[in-house]
Amino acid sequence: MKQKIFIPEFGGARAVILHRPHPTVDSLSRQLRAIGLSVEAHWPELPASVMLADYLFFDADMGCDEQFPWPAGEAPMPMIALIGSEAPGRIEWALSHNAASKILKPVGDGGVFSGLLIARQTYDARKAMAAEISDLRARLSERQTVVQAVMLLARNAGSEDRAYDQLRQMAMSWRVNIEEAAQRVVAMGLAAKRA
Amino acid sequence: MRRQIEIGLLFSCTASYGLIAAAGRAGALRAIDEVNADPAFDLTFIPVERDPQGNIDLYQPMCAEILRSTNARHVIGTTTSWSRKEVIPTLEKAGGILWYPCPHEGFEASDHVVYMHACPNQHLVPLMDWALPRYGRRAHLVGSNYIWGWEINRVARDLVMGSGGTVLGERYLRIGDTDVARMIEEIRATRPDFVLNSLIGSSSYAFLAAMAELRREDSAFAGGKMPVLSCNLTECELPKLGADAEGLISAGPYFHGAAGWPGDGRVFASSFEAAAYVSVRALAGLLAHRPGAEMLCLRSLLDQPKEARFGIDRATHHVTLPALIAEVQQGRFEVVSARDGVEPDPYLSRRSNRLHPNLTVVTP
Repeated sequence: MKQKIFIPEFGGARAVILHRPHPTVDSLSRQLRAIGLSVEAHWPELPASVMLADYLFFDADMGCDEQFPWPAGEAPMPMIALIGSEAPGRIEWALSHNAASKILKPVGDGGVFSGLLIARQTYDARKAMAAEISDLRARLSERQTVVQAVMLLARNAGSEDRAYDQLRQMAMSWRVNIEEAAQRVVAMGLAAKRA
Repeated sequence: MRRQIEIGLLFSCTASYGLIAAAGRAGALRAIDEVNADPAFDLTFIPVERDPQGNIDLYQPMCAEILRSTNARHVIGTTTSWSRKEVIPTLEKAGGILWYPCPHEGFEASDHVVYMHACPNQHLVPLMDWALPRYGRRAHLVGSNYIWGWEINRVARDLVMGSGGTVLGERYLRIGDTDVARMIEEIRATRPDFVLNSLIGSSSYAFLAAMAELRREDSAFAGGKMPVLSCNLTECELPKLGADAEGLISAGPYFHGAAGWPGDGRVFASSFEAAAYVSVRALAGLLAHRPGAEMLCLRSLLDQPKEARFGIDRATHHVTLPALIAEVQQGRFEVVSARDGVEPDPYLSRRSNRLHPNLTVVTP
């Protein structure tokens, strides 16, 4: 089965390059424009408008944390590292910013299109995974609530197995997940107790 | 005293796709003759010819040899995208520039290549726009087994699916392979609304002959139904196809006798000849009265106002071209649709070149 690659809409997308003026910036800019993006280059400060960029290319050789208006690893767009020196410390730093792909310097005739595609895919996959993990975490932390709800329901249902089935039915009919149904059952149980 | 400037010609005139190469070579030589005879130029072009004979592994060494052993910095030629991609690393190393006179599949804009023929938004996108409402959305895709066929079919699949259609089959043949029986059987069985043919050379000739045979045998395929479309068929291959070419539909920037591009009232046998001709003329114009310009990199060479760089786009190194669609009628291409001045978009990044909504024509 062939995996179909999704080619994002590059026309009109904005790329920002954080690199001192250099032939590498010229080559990078030409390739980006050929692909259809608009390009601006800045050094050493990024303007506030960087928040609107769709892709950020940054110099892994000379860059530092203070240049970015967000904590390391929390950029709101895919970051692409421009790597000249392959010194471990510099690569470590680029990775600390969650670079979604990389291009080796000097930038010549190619590499930008695949760099963009890989960055987009990696960034989106990471974001989706982070959302899934936080959802799973939330559900994991509700384990105790589920146990409480089953105990409450078991008083009338007769057994824990039947109580668990009942909870699942409730979740289905309320169209919520089982943890949320458990929260409601527990809340109702407490309310009943107080009454 | 005219400057003597060597330029490379890299055409495989004996390959299975040799007719296309020969058309390009003819166009380049025609322009070289004209430039050399024209007192308005301060230069004389000296062609340095190499023929890789369709052997993919000879392109790179022959291109390197031209750049190493002569003063040529500019090479006109290569026909398949595979061979173009083979020579790009050599051009980068040696600072050479390739003028590519054939349609390509897009997703490339090298610092060392000028693309003088059409890219997909100038051939495939207009062709699908025209064909889908006319014939239907059930497509069958065939192609030669290399980058041109793969990418044309990938984009075609996106366009067909994006308009709500289906792809009934997608088959490939090795370059030079003529065993088309399986392809024809599938087409006979699936009865698509149209076939998109991205085969090249002898594979394409065998396929088109077999399609013509199918039309004679099976009335479902007769009378202009289920046409074969392509983005690379020109007049230069019509003699080889004979009567089998009737009804074929092709997209390109030029067909014999068409007005518009390349202009000047000159008539060309095919768009391959025209594109190679324009390449040499543009090069001559860019080098004329600029001593030493033949050694410049492409970026510096094109650092000119738009007119002076012959419309070559500085970002993509492509040109704005007409998008014509033509059908073979009684042995010659008749233009059935023409769009002028289509700007190049090699990465199909503009929305208008992407998937179209599922619209149908409603007549009151």
